[in-house]
Amino acid sequence: MVLCFLIVSLLAALFTGLSRNRCLAAVFAFLFYAAQLAFALWIVLRGRGETVLSFFTLDNLGAMFHLLTAVIAPVVYRQSLRYLDTEPVREFRIYSLALIGLCLSVTGVYYADNAAVTWIFLEATTLATAALVYHRRTARSLEATWKYLFVSSVGIAVAYLGILLLSTAVTGNEGLSYRQLLLAVPGANPLYMKVAFLLILTGYSCKMEVFPLYTVGVDANYAAPTPASALISTALVNAGFVAFFRIYRVMAVSEVYDWCRNVLILAGLLSLLAGAVYLRRTNNYKRFLSYSTVENLGIVLIGLGVGGIGVFAALFHLAVHSLLKAGMFLQIAQVGRFFGTYRMNRTGNYLNLYRIGGATVMMGLVGLLAFPPSGLFVSEFLIFREMIATRRWWLLTVFVLLMCLVVYTLCRRFAGLAFRPEAAGTTRPEAISRTATWLQIALMTAVMVAGIVQPRFLVDFINGMLM
Amino acid sequence: MLFALIIVYVVTLVYFSITERFRHYASLVALQGWVLAGIALLRLHAVDVGELIFVLLETVVFKALIVPYILFGIIRRTGINRVHPSAVTGFNALLLFLGGLIASVGVTYFLADTTVNLAFFAVALYGVICGLLLIVTHKRIFSHLVGFLVIENGVFLFSMAVGVEMPFLINAAVLLDILISILMLGLFVTKIGERFRSLSTDELTSLKD
Repeated sequence: MVLCFLIVSLLAALFTGLSRNRCLAAVFAFLFYAAQLAFALWIVLRGRGETVLSFFTLDNLGAMFHLLTAVIAPVVYRQSLRYLDTEPVREFRIYSLALIGLCLSVTGVYYADNAAVTWIFLEATTLATAALVYHRRTARSLEATWKYLFVSSVGIAVAYLGILLLSTAVTGNEGLSYRQLLLAVPGANPLYMKVAFLLILTGYSCKMEVFPLYTVGVDANYAAPTPASALISTALVNAGFVAFFRIYRVMAVSEVYDWCRNVLILAGLLSLLAGAVYLRRTNNYKRFLSYSTVENLGIVLIGLGVGGIGVFAALFHLAVHSLLKAGMFLQIAQVGRFFGTYRMNRTGNYLNLYRIGGATVMMGLVGLLAFPPSGLFVSEFLIFREMIATRRWWLLTVFVLLMCLVVYTLCRRFAGLAFRPEAAGTTRPEAISRTATWLQIALMTAVMVAGIVQPRFLVDFINGMLM
Repeated sequence: MLFALIIVYVVTLVYFSITERFRHYASLVALQGWVLAGIALLRLHAVDVGELIFVLLETVVFKALIVPYILFGIIRRTGINRVHPSAVTGFNALLLFLGGLIASVGVTYFLADTTVNLAFFAVALYGVICGLLLIVTHKRIFSHLVGFLVIENGVFLFSMAVGVEMPFLINAAVLLDILISILMLGLFVTKIGERFRSLSTDELTSLKD
């Protein structure tokens, strides 16, 4: 089945690249996404375990994020078609191939069972993302591509140093398979483990969009076509997280685990602080949503740092965040087309001008605020509970203060979009697809449902990732 | 012999701090490629022929020949051959780089372990620090590119310091690294140089809040 999926995917990608006709290229691209969705569902329902490919294992962690990507990617591509309808066939094909390349490389990250293989696929995501960011070929996209390639490459090189050091720390280990590392790590040199952890966290932060290298992701989202930003902010961020989480699980059985948790709390708080501060400063919706990603990933790191139920909450938070952020980015893409700009001070009165779109933004706002019934409420509540249970009062205080700032800024910005009078001279050049809006609503409804009911199988599935 | 090559490598790193001409940067990158080839030959003599050829191709063909050739091409095309006037002066840069050397030696002895070759470890770490210093103390994008290449060389040396034995994976990673480097250089040659004539980071300011 794995080989079958791989062959179908590669053939679909090949024909997408070779098609001289826009329509045919889109059909093959959709065939790819259909294959990916079928494969992800098969893995979730019955296909977990070893594969014929020795460096990959189909486990719960990879399966959940693969399924999320398989759900989000076709929606992103569907919205991209409208975005690309005036572009030449060549650019259309490159964009389609870059999206497919990103999906394939993040899938490789999700299932890689070896730290070096994970690193290789993360490096591959840099190439696919760079192609997406450079799509418009403007001075701004060129600058963003250059910065993305440069900072990501430096970050990934730093992470590679960490992986090499980890291999040194685990004396007697013959490879970098995560299972081998888990077995060998208890006797490892703690100092090397700490340095390796720091290097890997720093390196992967450019993909996870957390402190310290979060800026590169924000710039990439800003310059990339907005539907592509939806995939970069979810699938790619998840890939960075999965790569890091596998190292975190290795550290969890070592004697430096408590130290690593403290580092994660610090990195999480700094990400939350950066997100909260820059949310207030920016005047662009795409950057705004990107800083929101930084803020949410900060919460995820804090969840990992507090441990206990916080780890479950972090995984749940990231899964829900993926659906929500994809929906919000796609909706903001519509806002951009509707007003002809992403500048906040040039938009307003959206709820009156386009009711379904305005309602979708409000729905997304409730989701991002983590108010019930948002799924984020559940995860943040669990993280709060763990902080109180472990008596981390200082952390709780700082966390609450920063979250207040985030909540205030989110309300102010999105309420402005929905209710503030429109700026004079604003034009609305294009009609909006209501079908597309309903797809965004479907994604956000899933977020709300996750906040109301957490089925037993989902809880068991996430718990399976912690093993 | 191995020790002599390591010394030459350290000298190239220190020389990066005092030189202000891009042609010297490109020559130093080429020299580092040859030195790494020599070190790889001496260190990896026990591995199979295929792997040896791969390592030599990476160091000699790519690091010592192709990359410097592209760097010289960039200098010719852009006509800019000096670091930005506002870059840290040679003497201060030298102090910084020597501080980096002391720091890397100190860290190496702090981390000292029987599983690593200390000389390699210290020099590799110094290479990474020098690359980062080149990036943060210079304004021209060319210097940043060279800084990245110096970091890559440091990482290459580091993989030899820890004696990783995963030839297939390491080779795949190296190949991907080469691809990324070529993409960056290509982007630089064809796009950045044309669009941003002074090659200064001051021009890269359109992405802001």
